[in-house]
Amino acid sequence: MDVSQYLDIFLDESREHLQNLNTSVLALEQDSENQDTINEIFRAAHTLKGMAGTMGYKRMQTLTHDMENVFSEVRDGNLKVNPEMIDTLFQCLDALEGYVTTIQETSDEGDNDNQPIINALNACLENKGSEPAAPAAKEAAPAKKKGGKKKKEEPVATEPPFKLSDTEQKAVEDALMAERKLYLVKVSVQENCLLKAARAFLVFKAIEEYGEIIAADPSTQDIEDEKFDLSFRLIIASDGDLKPVLQAIKNVSEISNAEGGPFNAESIQAEDQAEKTEEVQKSDDTAEKKDTPAPVSKEASAPAANSTQAPPAAAKKPAGKPAVNRTVRVDIEKLDSLMNLVSELIIAKNSLVSAATVLGSNNNQLNDHIEYLESVTTNLHESVMKVRMVPIESVVTKFPRMIRDLSKKLNKPIELYMTGEETELDRTVVDEIGDPLMHLLRNSADHGIEEPDIRAQRGKPAVGSIYLDAYQDGNNVVIEVKDDGNGIDVEAVKKKAIERGVLTEEQAAVADDSEIISLLFQPSFSTAKTVTDVSGRGVGLDVVKSKIESLSGEVDVKTKLGEGSTFSIRLPLTLAIIQALMVVVGDEKYAIALGSIQTIEDISPDDIRTVQGREVINMRGSVIPLIRLDQVVGVESSRNPEDNMVVLIAKKGDRLAGLIVDELIGQQEIVIKSMGKYINKCKFISGATILGDGEIALIIDANALI
Amino acid sequence: MADELSTIINDTTQYIVIRLGNEQYGIDIKYIDNIVRMQQITRVPQVSPYWKGVINLRGEVIPVMSLRMKMGLENDTETKDTRIIIIKIDQHEPIGVMVDSVKEVVNLLSSEIERVATTDNHSDGYVSGVGKQEHGLISLLDIELVLQDM
Repeated sequence: MDVSQYLDIFLDESREHLQNLNTSVLALEQDSENQDTINEIFRAAHTLKGMAGTMGYKRMQTLTHDMENVFSEVRDGNLKVNPEMIDTLFQCLDALEGYVTTIQETSDEGDNDNQPIINALNACLENKGSEPAAPAAKEAAPAKKKGGKKKKEEPVATEPPFKLSDTEQKAVEDALMAERKLYLVKVSVQENCLLKAARAFLVFKAIEEYGEIIAADPSTQDIEDEKFDLSFRLIIASDGDLKPVLQAIKNVSEISNAEGGPFNAESIQAEDQAEKTEEVQKSDDTAEKKDTPAPVSKEASAPAANSTQAPPAAAKKPAGKPAVNRTVRVDIEKLDSLMNLVSELIIAKNSLVSAATVLGSNNNQLNDHIEYLESVTTNLHESVMKVRMVPIESVVTKFPRMIRDLSKKLNKPIELYMTGEETELDRTVVDEIGDPLMHLLRNSADHGIEEPDIRAQRGKPAVGSIYLDAYQDGNNVVIEVKDDGNGIDVEAVKKKAIERGVLTEEQAAVADDSEIISLLFQPSFSTAKTVTDVSGRGVGLDVVKSKIESLSGEVDVKTKLGEGSTFSIRLPLTLAIIQALMVVVGDEKYAIALGSIQTIEDISPDDIRTVQGREVINMRGSVIPLIRLDQVVGVESSRNPEDNMVVLIAKKGDRLAGLIVDELIGQQEIVIKSMGKYINKCKFISGATILGDGEIALIIDANALI
Repeated sequence: MADELSTIINDTTQYIVIRLGNEQYGIDIKYIDNIVRMQQITRVPQVSPYWKGVINLRGEVIPVMSLRMKMGLENDTETKDTRIIIIKIDQHEPIGVMVDSVKEVVNLLSSEIERVATTDNHSDGYVSGVGKQEHGLISLLDIELVLQDM
C-alpha cells in the first residue's frame, strides 16, 4: 500500500472541487448574500483542505485553510463579500490549481508558498473589524502547521482484550526471546480524516523507522482496507524507548492521538487508565469541528453549529456513499478496446449478411436470426458509444470564470450565457474541444464585443453578451459561440488580405462575403487593430479550424456587421462507426457518410445547365453545382450518358452540391478504418471500411469536395 | 561448439530474397511481418502511381506499393508468383510491398556482404550493400530508406 495509489483520485477530485469553487465564487460575486452558495464554497474548500492534508501537501493545505477561514467569517456574517476579496479568492484558486498541476507533473506540490495570497487573505480577515473570532482563527493556522495535532480522545469505556493470532503470538514470543521491548500503542485518527488507510500507512512507515510491528488489532489487512473506526492498536517490538515512536506517530497529520506503554499480559487491562490522561486540546480543532456540520445542514445557523459535534459528521458519510457506488472509473483504453471489438463484431455481422445474400434469401429462419443479430449489434454499438460519452460540462464550466477575468482585463462588461452543458460527446472529442472553444470565446470578447462607449453610441446594452449554446442535431452535436458585438467587418478583412498579399485587388473585388470571411481561418490572419495578450496574435481561428477538422467536424461563421457574429462548430457524435450510403462509381464501391447527404435526386441529363464553365442544376429554385465523382476519383463512368443520373445532394454549412454517382447500393453501418499516414495524401478520402465480403471500400468525405 | 554456433548467429543476418525482373534483392527478415499471396487491391485515387492501393489483411486496412515502380522499373504484371510482403518497422504502421516472387531465405555472414555507398541513381538508391553467394549477387535493400522516401 502506498499513498500514491490515491494520487489519481486526489487529482481528479481536487480539480472537481476547484472547478466547483470557481463556479461558486463566480456566483457569489453576483449574489454576495446567498447563504447556499457560501455554504457550498465552504464545503468544497473544507474537503479540499482535508484531501491536501491527507496526501501530505502542506502548502496546499495551508493556503486552503486560510481561504476557508475567510469563508468561515463570511458564513458567520462577520465579513462582507467585496470585489477585492473576490479577486483575492480567484488568485487563491489559481494558486491552488497551480499546486494541483505541479503535483500531477512531479507528484510534489513544489516550493511556492504563495505568501502574498495568504497575506491578502489575512488582510481580508482583518478588514472586517474587531470581532474576536478572526484572530483566533488566524492563530489556528500556524499552530496547525507544526503538526501538533491533538484532539479530545473518544471516551472509550472498556477496551476489548487484544486478540493475538497464532502467528502473532509466535512473533511476540520470538521478540521476547530476542530481548526486545514490546509496546502496545493505540493510535487514533481524527474523526474527519478522509483517507484513514493512507494515514495508517504513514503511521506504519513512521513506526518502522524505530522498530517492528508485530501485531495489529484490527489486522493490518483490515486497516489497509479502512475497516476500522477511529483507532487501531499495534504491538511494536523495538530496541529503544517508546517516546520517540509516539512522537513520530503524532507527527503524521490527521492523527489525533497516539499513546501506549509496555506490552505484557496485564497491559491490556492497564490501558483503560492510560485513556483518561490526555488533555483536551481545542486550539485548532474547534474551528474545524464546527465547520463540519454546517455544510451538511444548510439551515443550521452559525451559533447552532458550534454546539454540534460528531453526529452530523457521521451523518455525512452515509449520504456520500451511494453516489460513489453507482459509478465505476474505467480506463479510457479499456473502452477503446471494447469499441474496437464492437467494430469487429459489426464487420463480422456484415460478412454474415452478405454470405446469407449469396446463399439466397429463401431461408426465412436464417434471415430472422440475422435481423435479430443486426438489432443486437446496433444496440450494443449505441450502448458502448453512450458509455464513452461525457457531457461537455466538464470543459465549459471553466468559461464563465475566464470571461469574467477577460471582462476585467479588457475593461468591457461582458456576460456569458451558457445552455446545453449537458450535451454529450465522445470522451476523446470532449477532451479536445476545450481549446478551440476557448479561442472562440476569447475572440468574441476581444474582437467581437465593442468598447463600452461604442456600444452606448449604437444603443446597445452596456453589458456585452456572449452565448455558448450546445445541442444535438441528429448524429451531430452543434456548439455555437454567439456574441452581440460588432460582427466581422468584411471590408476590413478584404483590405487586410490585399495588404498581406493574400488576395489581389481583382480577386477581392469579385470575392463574396463568405469567401472573405473564410480567410480568417487561414494561418496568421488577425483583424485586431492592436495585439493584446488576449487574442490577436493570429494564432486563433486557423488553430480552431484545424483542430475541429481533425475531429471530423466543421466550423462555420455567420456574421452581420454591427450586430454580432455566430461561430458554430459541428461535430460528429462518434468517430468510429457511421451510417453510410454505399455507391458505385465506375467499377468501384465508395461509402459516403449519410450525415452529409441531404437528399437523393433522379436528374435527367437535359436538366444540366452551364454557369461560368461549371455544371449546375436548378432544383426547387436553388442553383446547385454538380460534381462528377467519376472524374474526381479518375475512373470511367459505367453509366449510359443518356440515362437519368443519381445525384446526391450534399450540404456543407449553407452550401449545397450535387454528387453524380453511377449507382446506389444502399445504406449500411460501416466501421471507419484508418488507411495509415503513408497513403492519406488524398484529401477527399477520409478513410476506408471493410465490407461484408471482405472487400475494401473507400470513404468519400463530401465536405472536402464542396 | 556452442560458442561457435553463437558466433555464427551473431555474425549472420537473414535476408528474404525476392525477385524483381531479372534481379534479386534481399530484405532483412527483421522488418518482415508476413508474406501474403496476391489478393484484391482497392485502388486509391489521386496518389503517387507506385501506390497500388489498399488490401484487407485480417481486418486491417494496409496500403500496398509496387516496389518495381518505386524503383523506376516498369509496372508489375501479376502472375501466380506475385507476392505482397508486409513490412513492419518499429512503431510505424504496416505497409505492403508487391514483388514478382519470393525465392528463399539466406543467411549472409558479414564477410559476405560488401557495403556500397548510396548513390543518387534512382534504382540503386535504396541498395545498402551486395551479398555474395554461390548463386550470384543479391542487392540488399535498405527498406527503411524506401519507406522514408514517400
